[in-house]
Amino acid sequence: MKMAKKIFLTVVFLIFIFGSSAGARVYLDVNQPTLIQIPIVLAKWKNVDKTPAALSEKGYEILANDLTLSGFFRIVDYHHLPPPLQGKTGIPEMLVLNEWTPAGGEILLAGEILLDPAGLNLKLRFHLFDLIEQKHLVGKEYEAPVQSLRTMVHRMADEVVLQLTGEKGVNNTKIAYVSRQTGNKEVFLSDFDGSNIRQITRNQSINLSPAWSPDGRKIAFTSYLRRNPDLYLVDADGKNSRRFLDSPGLNAAPSWSPDGKRIALMMSRDGKSEIFVVDNNGGNPKKITRGHGNEASPTWSPDGRQIAFVSDRSGSPQVYIMSDEGTDIRRLTYEGSYNTNPSWSPKDDRITYCARVGGRFNICTIGTDGSGLQRLTSGSGDNENPSWSPDGRYIAFSSTRAGASKIFIMHANGLNPRPLTQSKGGESSPAWSRRFE
Amino acid sequence: MSKKSLAILILILGIGLIMTGCPKKVVKTEEPTVKLSEQKAKTDAERAKEAKEREAARIKEQEAAEKEKFEKSLTTKKEPGIQGQVSESSLIKDVHFDFDKYDIRPADAEILKANAAVLTKNPNVKIQIEGHCDERGTIEYNLALGERRASSAKAYLVSIGIPASRISTISYGKERPLDPAHNEEAWAKNRRAHTIIVAK
Repeated sequence: MKMAKKIFLTVVFLIFIFGSSAGARVYLDVNQPTLIQIPIVLAKWKNVDKTPAALSEKGYEILANDLTLSGFFRIVDYHHLPPPLQGKTGIPEMLVLNEWTPAGGEILLAGEILLDPAGLNLKLRFHLFDLIEQKHLVGKEYEAPVQSLRTMVHRMADEVVLQLTGEKGVNNTKIAYVSRQTGNKEVFLSDFDGSNIRQITRNQSINLSPAWSPDGRKIAFTSYLRRNPDLYLVDADGKNSRRFLDSPGLNAAPSWSPDGKRIALMMSRDGKSEIFVVDNNGGNPKKITRGHGNEASPTWSPDGRQIAFVSDRSGSPQVYIMSDEGTDIRRLTYEGSYNTNPSWSPKDDRITYCARVGGRFNICTIGTDGSGLQRLTSGSGDNENPSWSPDGRYIAFSSTRAGASKIFIMHANGLNPRPLTQSKGGESSPAWSRRFE
Repeated sequence: MSKKSLAILILILGIGLIMTGCPKKVVKTEEPTVKLSEQKAKTDAERAKEAKEREAARIKEQEAAEKEKFEKSLTTKKEPGIQGQVSESSLIKDVHFDFDKYDIRPADAEILKANAAVLTKNPNVKIQIEGHCDERGTIEYNLALGERRASSAKAYLVSIGIPASRISTISYGKERPLDPAHNEEAWAKNRRAHTIIVAK
């Protein structure tokens, strides 16, 4: 957390050198059902003054990986350029932009990096060019302590995604998830690109369903440490873990309201799971479901006025929507006999959930009006626990497609699935953070 | 004194003797009778007391035997990461459930009756019923299902006379499978309400 703050304070403004505006052109409509990837040429970065080549190589690698992971680009690596262009570095003059035409891309990204003589601060500069129309799109410069190279490059990648797709990337986000790699279910964090993996809980207990507070500072989760599924809070750096709700029975599946003031969760005070809403200090618990069914997995609408949840009141688990007071209940899913794990898109009126189809579990999305059902996974093991990225463009989920359950990330239309980490598996319950600016 | 009057005197005396003698005899015979019945009453009470004591001793012995039997049936359950010293009894058996169901099946009701008999014989024992699910389905919905399974088993025990205060419940959802295999046989084993001993 401290680190993040430091970066926040020292990263410097953006400079538009060429003064040309990026214009309103969106190069990629990411809402298309099929995705055409933009071919982008990544020229070799220039090491300004005595900046060690290792730094530019590292930064280049992070950027290429970020842009690949975004799924929006086909990377043309400088190693694969025609020989005259392979070693070409630095920001090209507009007049010689046409020499990049043989590179075979629509967009050129040129970058340079400067380590100050004291070896403490890095300056990172990049420019984007449209090689088809032979024009400059944008140029920006970042400055931060040398150890923040990765964060700076992520920010750069976010900017490239913004310029070419109309919305900023999610490279500075984290995913919390549960991993069994220690033998117990513990909460872990990973950056969007699978780096910076950190273990957050170390209690050797059963820890479930991590959920980020909207401000990105805290994670709520359920732990069996005291022989009851109690709700805990822990700071995002793994410190200050504290028991938060310990009503006998379930205190599980937390979901923060978008304003961070309330938490919806499963509680079972009368021997049956119901949806409750509590204040973010644990006070004022209110039961908002009534009836004979088992109620599970609440998720808030982006405006904080509605909650989608699972209920088996009809005889099988299905997704329902109600107001945050528990009124105006309506059933959302009708197809299939096992629809669970809803997650409400932070950006629009879609809900992703887990459906059992033919004995296998798959990720689906559906409009909150019940229209436009799409199945995003199929024929690839069991796929569960979907969670939206903060821009609503990606879904993280757990999948057994490669053997033991692992976290995967795919586009919201189901394309480009890729594993989050290189672990051996045993992962579940991904939860996506907001962007860390 | 004539012979006649002497004879009368003797007769009178004799009668008097008889009359006085008879009561004497009665008293004499009655006294021991009263003492006897008193004695008898006393011994009856003693006997009852003794019998009661014997019975109490027998019950105590039986209880001790039951307790010993119960104690012998126990194994300590070790769960790092979950606080509290608890044990499992081989006398208290699991009940099982159908997929996505939480109702007690008739054969399992018999198991719960047998479990209740053990609990009646060991009145200080407090239990926790754990609801478990198979690996299919999502973590959170299975938590709800496991909760309901534990509650079903508890409700049955309460309905046949075990005080609710002796039974707590916990749902482990699909987090603690008995059999880690991924097949029907394992799944059937894993859909269960398991009982642990939390106090005795």
